[in-house]
Amino acid sequence: MSEVHLTINSQSVTASRGQTILAAARTAGIDIPTLCYHPALSSHGACRMCLVEVKGMRGLQTACTCPVAEGIQVETNTEAVIEGRRFALELLFSERNHYCMYCPVSGDCELQELAYRYGLDHWRYPRTYHKMAVDASNHHFVMDPNRCILCTRCVRACAEIAANHTLGLRERGSRSMIMADVSVPLGESSCVNCGACLQVCPTGALIDARGVYGGHEEDLTHTLTTCIQCSVGCALDVVTRGNRLLRVEGVWDSDPSGGLLCVDGCFKPLYDERQRITTPQIRRNGRLTPADWDEALDIAAKKLKNGSALGLAACATTNEALSTFARLFARNKAGRMEPAAPQLGYGRSAQLQDILAADLIVVAGAHPLSHQRVVGYFIKRAVDQGAHLALLDLTGSDLEDYATLLVNSEDAGLLIEKAAHVERAVVVYGVDLTPGAIKALKPLVDQSLFLALDAARNGKGAEAVGLEPLDVEEAEVLYFLLGEQRENGAMVGRLNGAFTIVQACYYSPLIEHADVVLPTPLWAERSGHFTNLEGKVSSLNAALPMPENVREEAEVLDTLIAML
Amino acid sequence: MGKITVATQWLEACAGCHMSFLDIDERIMELLKQVELTSSPLTDLKHPPQEGVDVGILTGAVGNEDEWAEAREMRERARFLVAMGDCAVFGGICTMRNFFDRDDVLIRGYVENESTVDGQVPCHEDLAPLTRYVKSVGEVVPVDVYLPGCPPSADAIWYVLGELAAGRVPKPERELLKYGLDGA
Ligand code: SF4
Ligand code: SF4
Ligand code: SF4
Ligand code: SF4
Repeated sequence: MSEVHLTINSQSVTASRGQTILAAARTAGIDIPTLCYHPALSSHGACRMCLVEVKGMRGLQTACTCPVAEGIQVETNTEAVIEGRRFALELLFSERNHYCMYCPVSGDCELQELAYRYGLDHWRYPRTYHKMAVDASNHHFVMDPNRCILCTRCVRACAEIAANHTLGLRERGSRSMIMADVSVPLGESSCVNCGACLQVCPTGALIDARGVYGGHEEDLTHTLTTCIQCSVGCALDVVTRGNRLLRVEGVWDSDPSGGLLCVDGCFKPLYDERQRITTPQIRRNGRLTPADWDEALDIAAKKLKNGSALGLAACATTNEALSTFARLFARNKAGRMEPAAPQLGYGRSAQLQDILAADLIVVAGAHPLSHQRVVGYFIKRAVDQGAHLALLDLTGSDLEDYATLLVNSEDAGLLIEKAAHVERAVVVYGVDLTPGAIKALKPLVDQSLFLALDAARNGKGAEAVGLEPLDVEEAEVLYFLLGEQRENGAMVGRLNGAFTIVQACYYSPLIEHADVVLPTPLWAERSGHFTNLEGKVSSLNAALPMPENVREEAEVLDTLIAML
Repeated sequence: MGKITVATQWLEACAGCHMSFLDIDERIMELLKQVELTSSPLTDLKHPPQEGVDVGILTGAVGNEDEWAEAREMRERARFLVAMGDCAVFGGICTMRNFFDRDDVLIRGYVENESTVDGQVPCHEDLAPLTRYVKSVGEVVPVDVYLPGCPPSADAIWYVLGELAAGRVPKPERELLKYGLDGA
């Protein structure tokens, strides 16, 4: 990339050709205010906050869209620039309802902050009093168009990050509105609740329904951790105040998803209504009753010592817990409860980011839009950028609308033909991969990368310690490591009178049949490590303390090992 | 230097701005050395003196005909007019009724209110008729100094009065410029 030399406020700056003035200034540590600009999104140039003067050019330029050029002289703080910014701000305040006194984001609002910066102590323009209905039809967040400045950050986030294209701008002069689909309430729209729009909104127009009024930024704690709701393992920023969980955000520029989340990571865990287990319990005279840890562990250890035992782990926990679990059952049989994607026996593995760079994506035996949703969104993003999507032996897939090729493994020739014309193909496959498909995909081995979607959350962590998929079988003692995995009663009929120990976070039908129950922390309380489907290890950091009588699984399993 | 004369009045407001003024606490003794308070809602004298004052302070929005008259009177009698608080500066919470028809608002408030039995809209020659729109002070008369906030902090009020007493025109900035409750 060739270099360009320019001056900004008389300071010499070197930039690369094609960079915008804004990017060049930020690299050089020169501040230019922005509002509709967001580093994770394409530039829009609509808010006029980043106005600058370029010597010799007529009028003022928007620094976020204006490219650098050799020798230009840029001024970022002239009187004309400041007056232009102030004028734009005053219009924004006059157009809608910006009475900060009853706005939940007052004190943390980018628009308000700019108004302070430019000393807006009153508005010179009369206000309009258009009545605009608040859209609270979505369970997780509220849209209040009265606070909206039409910066379109949300529209761009929905299109560029989530590739969902739910949001759009309905242009009607001063009555322009952000709308969902063809102007339907958000709750009835195609929105998948990824939370991206909410996270980029600079004002109080998009508001988290749960965390709202939870406190100002200065009162809040941000804990970076990893989502363990599926095998993608997106980076999370968990926002708390004291011991209160307010909301979850994505982390820009983070591995593996770059800040994108899905409803399972961003919202659902905060609305989990299952009843929490907060103390160990043992069965006495046929009834589960609270017990102290020593007593419960004592009984569990005695049973494990004296009978044939089988350990089954839902991989909804840390690497540490899984490896201790494997050690506990070293002399018995243990495995994971979820199936794994079949071994192909060929092919190099892909990283998530490879999907975005692919020109052909083949999906087989997997439903990423429902189970590893961010993978699904990545695929849609690649399709938006022109990649072909082929579905192999996949019927009823919610990816069908985006596919250009639907093939059976018998007609795999079509797929091979297509692959011959592309440079970078990625094959995304899952547990339902058919033997036919395994054979059909083999010819793609040279130009393709392969991404296995694990059905278990921490399947890779389990794989690393040798916990293979295993079905329940006859044993005197059955030990289930469930964590917060949902249990719908499927195991209940298969206990065959075994003494049943369950280590779990929530009550479930299985708990009602257990003999010993040991409580576990939930996702936001966990510390340790997680291995995602790419094999990358990331850390879990507790954002909330565990309830008093709850212990980390690894610690409990370690104690049991010591007792045997 | 002699004392400056100050008159204050509240229009359509909750009195919070005047309360925040009292929150300058013991500094009021210092202030009274520089400032002579003439009329205010807290004193016997309610209208600014005919001969005029150096500084007039209006809190609250303008929503009925009396308030229009009070705003005009203060403007005529004050050399410097300060609009204090979000209601005076922007119209504030009082402008909520601008989204509705004036008569509908009265009926909702006095007749249909859930806690009202046999209510009726008050009507008496001493009651000032509501204007169609609630406006900020600046939309009604020219204002010299704006101090937003709901209410403005005692520090911001202290700053504004101190500057005026010292013969300077205040311009609240940074920590002293806050909207809504953000200053709290
Ligand atoms: S969105 Fe920002 S500027 Fe608008 S009312 Fe809320 S805090 Fe104030
Ligand atoms: S939550 Fe995601 S899908 Fe829904 S509107 Fe926002 S960005 Fe689009
Ligand atoms: S809702 Fe928020 S992000 Fe979307 S246009 Fe309005 S202010 Fe911008
Ligand atoms: S894709 Fe998986 S890891 Fe990422 S936010 Fe959703 S559930 Fe969590």
